[in-house]
Amino acid sequence: MASKDIHISDQELLLAADGELPTRRTTQVRTHLANCWDCRVRMAETEAAIIDFARAHRRTFDSQLPPVASPRALLRAQLAELASKTGVGSRSWFTHFNSTTGIAAICAVIIIATLAGTLVLHHSYLRAMDSNFASIERGAVPDPGLTPGATRTVMVDEVCSMPHEEVVREVSPSMRQKVFQEYGILNARAGDYEIDYLIAPGLGGTDDIQNLWPQPYRSYTWSASVKDALEEHLHQLVCTRELDLSTAQHEIATNWIAAYKKYFHTDKPLSQYSCFGSTDLFEPSAFHGNRVECSNPNEFPLT
Amino acid sequence: MVLNGSTAELVFSTADGSAHLLQPSEIENAVLTLFEQYRDPILRYTLSFGISVHDAEEVTQEVFLSLFRHLQLGRSRKNLRGWIFRVAHNLALKQRYANQKLCDTIGPGDGIAEQHRDPAPNPEEHLSSSQRRQRLLAVLRALPETDQSCLRLRAEGLRYREIATVLGISLGSVSTSLTRSIARLICADGR
Repeated sequence: MASKDIHISDQELLLAADGELPTRRTTQVRTHLANCWDCRVRMAETEAAIIDFARAHRRTFDSQLPPVASPRALLRAQLAELASKTGVGSRSWFTHFNSTTGIAAICAVIIIATLAGTLVLHHSYLRAMDSNFASIERGAVPDPGLTPGATRTVMVDEVCSMPHEEVVREVSPSMRQKVFQEYGILNARAGDYEIDYLIAPGLGGTDDIQNLWPQPYRSYTWSASVKDALEEHLHQLVCTRELDLSTAQHEIATNWIAAYKKYFHTDKPLSQYSCFGSTDLFEPSAFHGNRVECSNPNEFPLT
Repeated sequence: MVLNGSTAELVFSTADGSAHLLQPSEIENAVLTLFEQYRDPILRYTLSFGISVHDAEEVTQEVFLSLFRHLQLGRSRKNLRGWIFRVAHNLALKQRYANQKLCDTIGPGDGIAEQHRDPAPNPEEHLSSSQRRQRLLAVLRALPETDQSCLRLRAEGLRYREIATVLGISLGSVSTSLTRSIARLICADGR
């Protein structure tokens, strides 16, 4: 039996168990363990504690993990949108710019001046991109698992003759709470979210919880007001018989942002519907009914 | 695109073996691959900060969108696992801080916070039927926050060097922290 003063320390035992010791020292520790029951007992205790903890850690949280399908689909959609936005990358432009500087050596002074100016623009562009990424549609589209959309059987004439207060009717407070609960949103303030209909009542959507989701008011390019504009536009198309009601319902429920792009023929929200960055939107007084109104739509022009 | 090693290093190369500028579609595929691999560990880790499942999901989405941006800007493709956990750690802390601030602003009894209090800070009581596990988790909760994070990151398979990077502490501190925590877990178990 090895004497006490040459026992392996607890720290080294753990490092050995975790495979963090250098190879040579690992061999020495193994040799020691083969001869020292005291250290082997401590090693066994250490490993048992690790296993118990790892098991407890997993069991505690694994039961809370939602299925991966919806988050995966959401990420895929967001990445596709990012990829399309950044397809004309800033790097390729910058690389091209650098190569031209070599050719135009005789204009060095001009180029340096140009470069300085351009770098500022480039930096601003990247910051704008960053800002765009940071605000990328978190919550702008509902979780399709929780909010697939729900409609009632309705005739086109009926939706087209609905009184305005029916089209823009608000969701009851108790239903609001249910939706927040379903989405696991805590501490929601009145001005943070609009409980929005995925398929608007004006398109035959119902008050069912499967047709409601909390859409954040603030800082989104694809905000609640942009969706409201789409709803009005689709409603108009349906009522002028330019669009089939079921198609409108399907498209807005599947991906309202894609529907907006399709029916407004644009990749970005039209500026009059955008409240991008407006701090006024934090105030409940900025809301009328279930829609958002920008006090000055031109104040925050989209880039 | 090849995902190398346990720490997730992305290797993109051309036919002649040289690194090349990434196309958005390549980055997209890489991010989705990493999402498949690390979504659950990241969710577990962020939930351990006591934020709601919804917030943890949002943080996780944000992590992988940030990863896209990181790769798009041509930044390091090495040790992406450490990078992912570091970003998740920072975002989860930020989210928890925002939640606490909001709670302080609203105060007890207001809003829906009290009615639907987040079970995450103490979910073990609801989920664990094992007294032994409860004992271990009680010891865990009593540990300093850095020690808890070290243990949880190690439980998710991170190496000491990665843990040091995520938490911004030295390698020695990771080792000391884990040794101390394991010793407490052993004591709690009455071994």
